[in-house]
Amino acid sequence: MKLHLCLNLLLVTILLSAVGVSCTTASSGPLALASFTENFVDVSLSLERDPAGNAVLSATFTPSDGHHLYSKDVPLKGLDGLGRPTLLELAAGSQMVAMGGLIESVQAQEPDFEPKALLVYPEGPVTLRLFVELPAGNSWIEDEVKITYMACTAYQCKPPVDGKIVPIRIPSAEMFASQ
Amino acid sequence: MNIKFLLVFVTAFLLACNFLFPQTPRATPGALFATPTEPEAEPGNTPDISPVGMKIVRLHPQDGDIETILAQETQKAVALGLMPVVEFDATWCPPCQAIDQGLQSKNELLLAAYSGTYIIKLDVDEWGWRDSTLHDFEFDAIPIYFKLDAQGQQTGEVIDGNAWGENIPENIAPPMDEFFHGE
Repeated sequence: MKLHLCLNLLLVTILLSAVGVSCTTASSGPLALASFTENFVDVSLSLERDPAGNAVLSATFTPSDGHHLYSKDVPLKGLDGLGRPTLLELAAGSQMVAMGGLIESVQAQEPDFEPKALLVYPEGPVTLRLFVELPAGNSWIEDEVKITYMACTAYQCKPPVDGKIVPIRIPSAEMFASQ
Repeated sequence: MNIKFLLVFVTAFLLACNFLFPQTPRATPGALFATPTEPEAEPGNTPDISPVGMKIVRLHPQDGDIETILAQETQKAVALGLMPVVEFDATWCPPCQAIDQGLQSKNELLLAAYSGTYIIKLDVDEWGWRDSTLHDFEFDAIPIYFKLDAQGQQTGEVIDGNAWGENIPENIAPPMDEFFHGE
């Protein structure tokens, strides 16, 4: 009987330890906010912390093999109407405040095909980061971001995703600081 | 005196000929198929941008339901001796626009490949993707071409950018030529 009780206690202790380790790991890394796949591009959103402790919203766009995305600096309605930019923006009414412009993980480059002026990212994932000021308080907050992109090959295009609103749940500034 | 008279006579003769028999445009060697003698009023009043030897029309949803207007356009195509083909495109699609520019700038390879076709353009921003109004046209990328039969129904023959790779006339023309004119 005592042995059975001891085993149960041991099991509970192991489970609690595992939960504790899991929570500690989650809070120290990027906080996953949302992810979706639309028009042949996987998009994952997260909240990161830079070495100085600032909050950074990030979106990683992974197009299907052979496809490229267009530079964040392409005009919203395309270059002479062609292409669409890759963008991570705060939605209207967001409680976050953008602190600067978008930072790209890879530099956009001139494509091997026409129109050369329409800069593209190399094939593969692209991450856009945006420094943000989180809203004050000590709770979780429902918020939204806006995502834009379009995936093409040299000879075909998938439909663009224009300003898709993605709901996210973000920690307030105090919560984020204490994590 | 005789030479001056001869010069005046020849000049007057040439002017009279030009007046009586005005020059008609010469047929382009590639224009093997019938072309309309004058631009038709396009559905939706879009200007006729068809190169010689083919015809391009753009249909809009306000022109009617897709089945009816495709049947109408197919009848026009058949009457002109042209092959009806539906193309889905969009203004933001660089490969689609590259093909249009190649045709409008009268690229010889593209003109030869597209000769004898009646291209019915549908903008996906107007018509949507995988929309029920699209009459079973299934696709997930543009540009894409669907051949129609004489009744305006899909023949099942489809071609898209995967057939030609990089979007230059030298690549596009051979598979399109085969698609439009092959057995």
